[in-house]
Amino acid sequence: MKRLFGPIIVCVIAAIASHLLVLQQAPSFIMDRALTMLEKRGIPLHGFLLAERMTPQTQSVVRPSPDLAYSACRFDLDQAPRGIRVRMAATPDYASLSFFDANTNNFLTLRGEGEARETILLPPGSTEPGEGSTVSPTKRGVILIRRLAPTQEAHDAVAAIATGDTCEAI
Amino acid sequence: MAKRAITYLLSVIAGVAIGGISAMAMAGLLPTDRRTGGDIELNGWFGDFTMGSADADAYFRARIAKHGLLALANSETVYFTRATDDDGNALDEACNYRMSGGSMPARWWSVTLYNSDNFLPDNTDQALSFDATRAGDGEWSAIIASMKPDEENTNWISSKSAGDFDLTLRLYVPNDGVLTDPDGIIQAPSIKLLNCVEDRS
Repeated sequence: MKRLFGPIIVCVIAAIASHLLVLQQAPSFIMDRALTMLEKRGIPLHGFLLAERMTPQTQSVVRPSPDLAYSACRFDLDQAPRGIRVRMAATPDYASLSFFDANTNNFLTLRGEGEARETILLPPGSTEPGEGSTVSPTKRGVILIRRLAPTQEAHDAVAAIATGDTCEAI
Repeated sequence: MAKRAITYLLSVIAGVAIGGISAMAMAGLLPTDRRTGGDIELNGWFGDFTMGSADADAYFRARIAKHGLLALANSETVYFTRATDDDGNALDEACNYRMSGGSMPARWWSVTLYNSDNFLPDNTDQALSFDATRAGDGEWSAIIASMKPDEENTNWISSKSAGDFDLTLRLYVPNDGVLTDPDGIIQAPSIKLLNCVEDRS
């Protein structure tokens, strides 16, 4: 029994380490796969693309809402060291501009309230961000615009509005 | 000496496997896990207000990464998921249900049906959700069934090709009090079983 004491301790330490490692890495691993999938679906780096109306045939991310129109922009602040200018065009109904880091956290959401919303996204560690700018917790992530569009007509109207959205490296 | 080294190697392998699998199980990352879950229960609907935020614990963040990626933080949206009817039985494509509710404490809300893979079920009915724009003010109800109801002007959510399904309630721009007193503010919809096409046992 004494001889097993060492291996048991090693087993417990390995179990705790792998348990914590899986928990820590799972969100960033899943987000990395999602970003790759979005790229394959044509979501541009530093540019918004309005997705087709959400249906069983067009969905690409888990649990999409078929009542919303989604525009997405991938960002990589390694390729935009001066930041990214992000603008959501004014929408009469519900609209939000939300930012997700590489660990899946929703670190900023700007609500439309019928008006355009704009911010400058800065790389992690940026000091003294100016008014109207936000420091991203991670270099990579995704920006999402959600707009209420429960019908095809509403989605068509959003398509016209979405041409005024901006996601561009400065 | 070699035997002892092999013993330690096997210990490490066993520890890594136990730790990894237990983390995946506790975080809902195994292939058989599906629900978003949460600590708050309202009439069979489960939610967690830390969804989407850095405040979520490691287990819940991993669970949401798999089952609800890109969820918004609670100041913008709160989410509840329900996988059973009012009697506690799993929601099933083979059965028909009546979902009933009243006005919701939010600027806009919706209920959407998802299959066991967390996606919209593969049908072309264009009836996979019900939302505030169709509910109007006050009391409302909708039939959840795989076939469109015969009655005219009946609200319908299609469960065709959904198998064992669940529903997600979204409250966008929740009213004051929702986050602090959800039990007192939210009248979560009921899901009453109407009938089943085949014996559920």
